[in-house]
Amino acid sequence: MDLWHLLFTLALICANDSLSTSDDLLQWPQISICRSPEMETFSCYWTDGNFYNLTAPRTIQLLYMKSIDEDWKECPDYITSGENSCYFNVSYTSIWVPYCVRLASKNQVFDQKCFSVDEIVLPDPPVHINWTLLNTSQTGIHADIQVRWDPPPTADVQKGWITLEYELQYKEVNETKWKELTPRVSTMVPLYSLKMGRDYEIRLRSRQQTSEKFGEFSEIVYVSFSQLGSECVRSEEIGFPWFLVVTFGACGLAVTVILIVLSKQPRLKMLIFPPVPVPKIKGIDPDLLKKGKLDEVNSILASHGDYKTKLYNDDLWVEFIELDIEDPDEKNRVSDTDRLLSEDHLKSHSCLGAKDDDSGRASCCEPDIPETDFSASDTCDAISDSDQFKKVTEKEEDLLCLDRKDEEESLASFANTDTQHRHMNTQSENIQLWPPFAESTDSLRPSVHPQISNQNSLTNTDFYAQVSDITPAGRVVLSPGQKSKVGRPQREGCTEQNFTIDNTYFCEADVKKCIAVTSHEEDEPHVQEQSCNEDAYFTTESLTTTGVNLGASTAETPISEMPVPDYTSIHIVHSPQGLVLNATALPVPDKEFNMSSGYVSTDQLNKIMP
Amino acid sequence: MPAYIGDAGDSPAPVDPSRSAPGSGLRRAMAPARAAGRAGAVAALALLWLLVCGPGDSGCHLLTVADLFDRVIRHSGRIHSLSTTLYTELEKHFPPRDNELGKPARKCHTSGMLTPNGKEYAQKIPREELTHLILKLLQAWKEPLSHFNQHIEHHQELPDDSLSKAKQISNMVHELKTGVEKVTKKMQSMGIISNSLNGMASSEGTGLSISNEANMMSDSDFIHCFRRDSNKVQSYLKILKCRIMPENSC
Repeated sequence: MDLWHLLFTLALICANDSLSTSDDLLQWPQISICRSPEMETFSCYWTDGNFYNLTAPRTIQLLYMKSIDEDWKECPDYITSGENSCYFNVSYTSIWVPYCVRLASKNQVFDQKCFSVDEIVLPDPPVHINWTLLNTSQTGIHADIQVRWDPPPTADVQKGWITLEYELQYKEVNETKWKELTPRVSTMVPLYSLKMGRDYEIRLRSRQQTSEKFGEFSEIVYVSFSQLGSECVRSEEIGFPWFLVVTFGACGLAVTVILIVLSKQPRLKMLIFPPVPVPKIKGIDPDLLKKGKLDEVNSILASHGDYKTKLYNDDLWVEFIELDIEDPDEKNRVSDTDRLLSEDHLKSHSCLGAKDDDSGRASCCEPDIPETDFSASDTCDAISDSDQFKKVTEKEEDLLCLDRKDEEESLASFANTDTQHRHMNTQSENIQLWPPFAESTDSLRPSVHPQISNQNSLTNTDFYAQVSDITPAGRVVLSPGQKSKVGRPQREGCTEQNFTIDNTYFCEADVKKCIAVTSHEEDEPHVQEQSCNEDAYFTTESLTTTGVNLGASTAETPISEMPVPDYTSIHIVHSPQGLVLNATALPVPDKEFNMSSGYVSTDQLNKIMP
Repeated sequence: MPAYIGDAGDSPAPVDPSRSAPGSGLRRAMAPARAAGRAGAVAALALLWLLVCGPGDSGCHLLTVADLFDRVIRHSGRIHSLSTTLYTELEKHFPPRDNELGKPARKCHTSGMLTPNGKEYAQKIPREELTHLILKLLQAWKEPLSHFNQHIEHHQELPDDSLSKAKQISNMVHELKTGVEKVTKKMQSMGIISNSLNGMASSEGTGLSISNEANMMSDSDFIHCFRRDSNKVQSYLKILKCRIMPENSC
């Protein structure tokens, strides 16, 4: 059944097609359009169809009915609008009134339309279209023109009865698609960027402002620039050869990069691909830091000035100790030697408990090294700055106060000192043997009074003193250890020390001696201990602060005798200069002490010592 | 008083009746920006009435009658565009009328009003009568529009855009009526037209009966009638403006 249906529909379609194309069949007349160009008159147009051939000619009538209550009337004018048209003039036209038109023949109605005139307004196209050249571009390729026209004469635009909008369309002659501008009320419009070498076509149409339908197009107006005699006619616009530029640029860049990469010249490579800078200190070789010895490093770093070699090297310390031990030329320093030898045990005693965490401190207090009794001088490990040596003044007392022969007198004081010293040693682990004596007490000068006859009761005596300064002449200025010098007030002993140097290191005992003067104040030694225990190495500031206290304290206190250490060991490791302990105050040029290592070797000392 | 009120919707047109009311094209009416323009125009129009010179103020020439007419004409053009848009939208939702063979059944409640149906008639009748007719028409539509708004809200199938348009139309008609009244007063103050507006009272009376008829119409017919009448009002205003200007040969 479906197949039959399909065949049937196909047959019908074929019949329809044949019917439509056949001339025998009737085609009904139809009203094609009714339009009013100005809203004052209107016309209706229809198509004849095949009716004309079959029946009597021209029996078609157009009937119209104005409003609802009237009858059908025949078209008043069949001629004016052309063939198959009906024209209604002003008298027959009423705006805003519904009309119905009917295409009929005798009693047969073919078509009917109802409308009102204000709905069928389709204005005529504008007339008198012309264009003028506005300006041309500097290259002469483009030009701007102004197109003007007049409204259709039929439309009464002047009185405002109808308001028209115009639409302009233009295109190049050989193009197919028209370009449209927005509809506008004005009767002129500029066209920009027309190519001068080409011809254009312009056409216009209009519509009533309140409707959407446009009227007919106007005639086509041709725009040609050749009549202006432009000699810069260029058919093709020469664009920038971007493609070539990009291609060649890429190739060149690639070639350059390849050359650079492949070239063996490191300089060129450095130029193009510079190495990333790494941090570097001038004058210091990083490799040295990695594998060099500490003393060398210290020497290097100290040469930069501000460096305070706070590093303490066991090696240095050991060597330092060796120096004292192996010094055979200390015969001149009989007193020293005697003291050293005689007070071995003392030193060893005083070294008790002077175990220190800091490097080298413990070593200084080893009993097998009696000379280097730095038990109390653990703090003397502090490495003085080079400035210390520079600031040695001429006013220093004898080196280590060893010139004094007041050992007997100082024995008692020494014992006292020693006791105190041991006390301090035993109590504190990190004995700061350099209690600072401030530079404020300028008058303080190291004066170590040698302990002479203190073998017996020198158990408490510490027979060493700290070197506080080294004079330019080579003398070593010791911290004040001896207060009981003959005819010398204790205060003076303390003040004799030269504290004008930056880094002043004092043995704890020395400070204690000075403090002991002010024995009325018990807090001071304690304080001093504390201050000494603060840090293994004093800085100038710490020295200053504590020294002030000490200086102040020492200024007031009466003089009391205190034992003075016998000798001074060189604690100061200062590179590149060395430290020479010269008991006989032999002038030694400083320059000889400018060694890479921070200590004076035995040989050097032998040279120096007489 | 400020010399000029900028019309937000359209550029100020010169005193040229042939170029008046450039804002009521349907295509433009459908653009969403038009709503904003209309709102601006309404606001501008509202401001306009505040700054129209009083009747006793003869020295107030800041806003000429031509400018006032331009604004009023533009406003009426917008109303017409809006109504056309609304009509096309309503045509989609309501069954289209069969106008092929049947008689035109559309009968508007304002059909009974004797209004000039052509340009010549509009040119011939006295200006006062033309002004009066304009006001009468606007008055006739004032109340039916409000009823229509209430009625159309119940239509669920209509889009919100249509509903908003309907409300907007009724507001704008009210604005336009106020504007025309102001222009009339100005014209009377300037002696352009006489002060005889005797027919106004009668128009008020007939307006009530007419509006009763309007309630009987269907929505589609209602909008169709209003669209036609809005075009009538616009054209009358244009002719009136032309006739007022002495230089134009209206």
